[in-house]
Amino acid sequence: MKHSKITLASAFRLLIAATLLISSSAQADEYGDVSQLIRADKFAEAAARADAYLVAKPRDPQMRFLKGVIQRSAGKSAEAILTFTKLTEDFPELPEPYNNLAVLYSSQVQFEKARTALEMAIRTNPSYATAHENLGDIYSRLASQAYNSALQIDANSAGAAPKLAIIKEVFKANLKAQPAVSASIPVAPVMSAAPKAVTPVPTPTAPAAPAPAAKPAVVAPIPVQTAATAPPPPAQIKPVISDKASKDVEAALNAWAKAWEAKDMVNYLGAYGKEFIPPGNQTRAVWEQERKKRILGKSNIVLKIQNLTISVNGNKATAKFHQDYRANSLSVSSRKTIDLVKSGEQWFITKESTGN
Amino acid sequence: MRFDCFMRLHFFAASIILTLCFGLANVANAKKTPASAPQTPSTNAQRSTSPPGSAEARLIEIYQLIAQSQGGLALAKADALTKDFPNFQLAQLVYGDLLASRVRPVKTLGDIPEAQLKGSEATLQQLRDESQVRLKALIERPQTGAIPSEFLTLSPANKHAIAVDASRSRLYLFENRATGLVLINDFYISIGKSGLEKTIEGDFRTPLGVYFITSNLDPKSLKDIYGSGALPINYPNILDTKRGKTGKGIWLHGTPTAQFSRPPKATDGCVVLANPDLMHIIKSVEVRTTPVVISKRLNWVSLGTAQLTKKPFEEALNAWRLAKSNGELDKVLNFYSPDFSAYGMNLPQWTPLLRNDLKKAKGRDIALKDLSMLHWTDAGETMVVTFGEVSAGRLTGPMKRQYWTRQSQQWKIFFEGVI
Repeated sequence: MKHSKITLASAFRLLIAATLLISSSAQADEYGDVSQLIRADKFAEAAARADAYLVAKPRDPQMRFLKGVIQRSAGKSAEAILTFTKLTEDFPELPEPYNNLAVLYSSQVQFEKARTALEMAIRTNPSYATAHENLGDIYSRLASQAYNSALQIDANSAGAAPKLAIIKEVFKANLKAQPAVSASIPVAPVMSAAPKAVTPVPTPTAPAAPAPAAKPAVVAPIPVQTAATAPPPPAQIKPVISDKASKDVEAALNAWAKAWEAKDMVNYLGAYGKEFIPPGNQTRAVWEQERKKRILGKSNIVLKIQNLTISVNGNKATAKFHQDYRANSLSVSSRKTIDLVKSGEQWFITKESTGN
Repeated sequence: MRFDCFMRLHFFAASIILTLCFGLANVANAKKTPASAPQTPSTNAQRSTSPPGSAEARLIEIYQLIAQSQGGLALAKADALTKDFPNFQLAQLVYGDLLASRVRPVKTLGDIPEAQLKGSEATLQQLRDESQVRLKALIERPQTGAIPSEFLTLSPANKHAIAVDASRSRLYLFENRATGLVLINDFYISIGKSGLEKTIEGDFRTPLGVYFITSNLDPKSLKDIYGSGALPINYPNILDTKRGKTGKGIWLHGTPTAQFSRPPKATDGCVVLANPDLMHIIKSVEVRTTPVVISKRLNWVSLGTAQLTKKPFEEALNAWRLAKSNGELDKVLNFYSPDFSAYGMNLPQWTPLLRNDLKKAKGRDIALKDLSMLHWTDAGETMVVTFGEVSAGRLTGPMKRQYWTRQSQQWKIFFEGVI
């Protein structure tokens, strides 16, 4: 029999390595364990585990999210709503809590609240907002085609194809995403927005018959955002050189927004300077045509600028803000960056982009 | 005692949406046609051979899904339906609404923006009418076992029978089985754009009465507007002619390539069906022996009630048969109306022919084989009787048709002829 020679040092090294391994995967194991308990319908046990974890790390979004899922699965709707609502307050950039709030509201027949929650989910990522608006444009065009077929009108009279909005860069928050839990946790599909009820007859509708609630899927724990990733870093605020300059820039932006709302194409397009580079390699003329089509085609536009930060450097300025856009019944929120240049007494837009 | 056999699932006259939610739950059961849907887009030729009634069944399924707030699934099914039947305008309308509902609230069937609708308001209204009429016919069903009272008696020679309810824009196809007449299919139809009761040539009305299919036209010889085929009927029949009605060319036919189904009141007087439905009828029925009743509103009765109604007439018919069998000319003549007219002959001119008939029969007993009796009631009361007049000892005899009318409690013949 041969004795394996294990020195004390090597044993100690092994022990440390093992401990390190265990601790780094401990976190992942914790989420995994709780998730497994949820899947096994062991809600009481899952809740206990989650609560124990949260004692040490009360802010942890992942575990708090799991707790919300447990509460909902156990039928504790009020508590679940509270949990997810607090998550949206602490981590407004996460779409998943908004989605689950929508599911809960929907099951309580509070459809307007559900809709608002889902719109917030979409706004967490401006790329979703753009895709959503583009999808709306496509649905409108498909509807128009179908109506033409129904009325047997020549489809060509519908006009040119809709110009959809290009996304120019990948939303940075998505790039930072790293799976924090093992792949064994299934990410259930996000509940699709419930379409508004359609009445297929011309008679005025009586109150709609109560419909069995659609069974939307609840999103499982998010496979994104390590603990280190906080909400996107706040915009760099360079020291403001001149108060008046900032105010002028702000005034110019407000005028631009008002013109947009009013569909005043002269003043809207006039807010863009000669050096303005239209997106996607379009010529200025083509871009102006596209903007005319998009803006004049809407029946009612409401535009709000929020969280505006301006940095001025001589006759150049950069403005960053949250743009809340509502038209017809679409609402889209996006992060905007606008570069301006002062020419004479006026500030003109030279660049406009969505994202950071 | 009249027997209203229509099963009204409920009485919400004001809002069909409630009708949708409750009534449609039963539609699937009531519908006898298979609802199998083709999975891949089809050519026009294929569309003619798609299962009869399948396009409508799929449309109704979409309505049911909408009523259950399953908009997403409804949209997917509407997408598939319009791919298979791109010229089914009503399906395109519903599909348009479902797409639009993803972007804005949709308030009514065919919520088309004003700018797009301009000039097409009439078309939209016709589509809404079609929708309403289809739904109504599927919600208000005849009770099981009930048949139109017009089919008083049918013989095994009448393998099928057709009844058209113009007010419901519906055609009902029956199979004549040993147990009796059974409803096997019903389809949406279009009738004359000017409505009902054809009277003169070119009035764009559909005739009312009891008719027979006279032929089956070769589709290759037909213009596109007639679709996959045509079954002409014998308008004007003897009763129509007696009343001085004119016109011709009343057919059951299909729809043009560009239009899967037509508005409820759209034709020149013909009864128009979607091609798959027409093809099903053409494949099933026999020319010349299939009666076609066209009524403003069909009167559905139980088989038992039908039995009771026939007694008085059956007695008259039997008495005529006996008198003829016994060679009693005077008695026989009693059954003929003073205004009798056949082949341009009035009763005095017809009498010698009758006398000859009786002489040839030599007092042999006459049997009426393959007897059918169609009962038509409007301003007057008419019985259209068809039978094979077979003398005892013979195997066959001439196929005859008589038109009887009730005059002051007495049934009399005003036409007789060999068919």
